[in-house]
Amino acid sequence: MNISSSDVILLSHAGFGVTGCMAALWVFVEALNARPENAARIRTAAFVAAVCIAAAWICGGYWYVHFYPPEKDLILKGPWPFAHNLFMETKEHLFFITAILALLLPIATRENLYSNATARKLVLSIALLIAMTGLAVEGAGAVIDHGVKVALLHGESKGAR
Amino acid sequence: MDSRIGSLPLKLTAATSGFVLAAAITALFNTALAWTKDAYAPLKVFMKSLTGHDWTTHGLVDLLLFVGLGFIFMHTKVAEKIDPNRLIGVLIGAVGIAALGLALWYAFF
Repeated sequence: MNISSSDVILLSHAGFGVTGCMAALWVFVEALNARPENAARIRTAAFVAAVCIAAAWICGGYWYVHFYPPEKDLILKGPWPFAHNLFMETKEHLFFITAILALLLPIATRENLYSNATARKLVLSIALLIAMTGLAVEGAGAVIDHGVKVALLHGESKGAR
Repeated sequence: MDSRIGSLPLKLTAATSGFVLAAAITALFNTALAWTKDAYAPLKVFMKSLTGHDWTTHGLVDLLLFVGLGFIFMHTKVAEKIDPNRLIGVLIGAVGIAALGLALWYAFF
């Protein structure tokens, strides 16, 4: 088995990202039924979402800066150049919006959601936006990964001929 | 016994409303900066010279803008004067426009 630091960092990035999205969904579900009893749980879940998305930012950023350039070259020479030109370019900038929303979530959950319908609506909106943009970013990651795969397969099949 | 307390529509605190407005502005700024550095290469080169990669600089600028504007809006209570429901609409609209703006830009340019 040969697992490189690049693999660990990349999978940590994806893992933290998914966990952050799941924590945001946890906030959404708890906030739907906000009560004094689950106020602390909502704040904990919001904190988990913020920490996980921040960790995804650090891991993803490190991998993108240090390990992505050779993969980018492969993608651009392969049959799916849009995996970089559209999906990676959109993902790497859309992620900043998800991250800002994740940092906003713990601030918004300091409100008393069980007695303030407006604050509850705000938290529901932020949590849903994090989940939607976060999952879009995750999906784009899968397309980028496939862009590398088809480029490698394309190169191998050309080499075999 | 149902312990739910009646949910009355209330205002948001200065901190929450300030940071919500800051997030909406940062989301739009993020997309505008992505367009600008993509269209104007010298800006990308300058951003790269600051931290070693334009993407790193981009993220730090977004973060500083969000935190900076958030504290300014919190202390000046500017965002608190905006109707909270309108503020939520502004945030959703800003994120939607910013996300669509990124996807369309990279799809067509």
